[in-house]
Amino acid sequence: MVEYELPQPFEELDHTADVGVVVRGDSAAEALARLVLAMSQLLAGGGDVAVAHSARIEVDGADAVSVAVDVLRELLFRFDCDHQIVSRCRVARFDGTGASLDVMLGPWDERAHEEGTELKAVTLHAARFEREGQGWVGQIVFDV
Amino acid sequence: MSAGAQLRATCHARQAVVKLKQVGDFAWEIPREGGMKVPGRVYLAPAQIDKVRADKALEQVCNVAHLPGIVGYSLAMPDIHWGYGFPIGGVAAVDAEHGAISPGGVGYDINCGVRVVTTQLNAGEVRSHMSRIVGRLFEAIPTGVGASKSIAKLDSKQMRKLLARGASWAIDRGFAASDDDAAHCEEQGCLAGADPAAVSDRAIQRGCGQVGTLGSGNHFLEVQRVDAIYDEVAAQRFGLFKGQVTVMIHSGSRGLGHQICDETLHRLSRTFHSFGPDYAALPDRQLACAPLSSPQGRAYLAAMQAAANFAWANRQVMTGLAIDAIADALDVDRQHLEPRLLYDVCHNIAKLEEHEVDGERRRVLVHRKGATRAFGPGDPRVPQSYRDVGQPVMIPGDMERYSFVLAGNEAAMTNTFGSSCHGAGRVLSRTAARKKAKGRRIDKEMRAKGIEVRSKGYRTLTEEMSEAYKDVADVVDVIEGAGVSRKVARLVPLGVIKG
Repeated sequence: MVEYELPQPFEELDHTADVGVVVRGDSAAEALARLVLAMSQLLAGGGDVAVAHSARIEVDGADAVSVAVDVLRELLFRFDCDHQIVSRCRVARFDGTGASLDVMLGPWDERAHEEGTELKAVTLHAARFEREGQGWVGQIVFDV
Repeated sequence: MSAGAQLRATCHARQAVVKLKQVGDFAWEIPREGGMKVPGRVYLAPAQIDKVRADKALEQVCNVAHLPGIVGYSLAMPDIHWGYGFPIGGVAAVDAEHGAISPGGVGYDINCGVRVVTTQLNAGEVRSHMSRIVGRLFEAIPTGVGASKSIAKLDSKQMRKLLARGASWAIDRGFAASDDDAAHCEEQGCLAGADPAAVSDRAIQRGCGQVGTLGSGNHFLEVQRVDAIYDEVAAQRFGLFKGQVTVMIHSGSRGLGHQICDETLHRLSRTFHSFGPDYAALPDRQLACAPLSSPQGRAYLAAMQAAANFAWANRQVMTGLAIDAIADALDVDRQHLEPRLLYDVCHNIAKLEEHEVDGERRRVLVHRKGATRAFGPGDPRVPQSYRDVGQPVMIPGDMERYSFVLAGNEAAMTNTFGSSCHGAGRVLSRTAARKKAKGRRIDKEMRAKGIEVRSKGYRTLTEEMSEAYKDVADVVDVIEGAGVSRKVARLVPLGVIKG
């Protein structure tokens, strides 16, 4: 299992009203980890995130895209309630019926993260998580 | 081809097939085709058509026309743009007994809305104090990502009381402009069908620290000056005069509303096919919906109404905080301002209302997704003090130009289920706006125009700059040209706080 940490590469989707990200990975696990960390980068506005504690995230789903969306939904909920941002991510399992991730989180900081974007929700709008060539691509639009 | 360009190219190719037939100077009909249960009707100036065709918004008008129980038309206002399931600017009325309720027809930010508070101050009295006023507002009202603790975090019991009572919960705690605030909110700031028990613990948890917070994105609080009056009689009824200082607040139900929408969409997107063939045939899973009469439909309606009440309480708390902040900055007693809530409108909501459909009075559920209620003169649901001129309709523009106060017309009642537009709509994506603003200081540019601004981060200012938005006057001119509502006053910004 590879651990990914901030920052990871992602492309910002040119969506008129909201914010979207596109990530690519050699494996589905890498693409999922990069989606998680792309959301962190939006929330933190590119600022550094300290490592304070760990958590295990587990979700079930019907297909890869809904599992990816549900992972992000859970992390966004935790951010809005506890103001914790994922700084490292290790995907233990991701197979289209569910996912299990070990994440390291740190506190949102008013000064360090002042350029952060408030995300209302993770949407299914234009959501993708699929094979692309030899690798995987994930695409998510966030309601802002 | 980049991901964004690919997305746009695909949309353009699919959108080109939607037929538009001009049926008025500013009205276009989309004929019924396939599984559409009603035609579409879109309010646009001819010059706006090509821009609207650039994405999937018109296709979404057609998709909404497939909703079970929809009556009249699938409508779109002139600020139409691509949304989730419904287009932004979409209006759909469904039969209250046999129709469907769709969270996508309300949006994530349930009861996102706008209010205007009038004062008896003249712009000349505040202009030299604007830096201090905006600074005090920014201290008093948390904005942006992570915004919380405007007031003490509420426990679950307090939250459930707030969800049942809406604006009055805040008014009873002293957050008010004057003693008629509740009467000057749409639905008196409280939807009676709200059931706090229908709101999940997670939604309560997400919203309990966010009462009295502005949020981010296009949400704002502006101190404004009345710069033009178009309808003297209506302006007088609304208490507006040229040179007057007003405060406009644009915000919604924060994390609580987002969570309710998110949870409901999550459930319904997996199950909506099971409600029958009309549901299984819906062309977009983001239109996931349930029969209004079903347990799932009733549960969402009850939770959505509770979220609407949260939004009214949220805007009401910010109203009290803003008045105190301005009085403090001017070093005067709050009574000196003579504050009064002009009106508060929702623009993301689904509401049970009575309307005339095919010559008979029917109870319908009107989804307004980025559309504002705009009842005409004489309607008993308009406050008595405004009834002869029509309901006030607040239309925010961008932070550097102007916003409008309109009044509802009779035509809104016959043509749009009493609905009007809700804002300018973006013309640039957030990424394109940031690119355009590169190397510029938007805050300095605004100050040079006489507008004080404070925001949490600089990125928001670049994404929200004036050039990123359409001219709201073009939107308002269409809705006025169509006879749906009419201009009463124009408000220009003196000071802005953003997330």
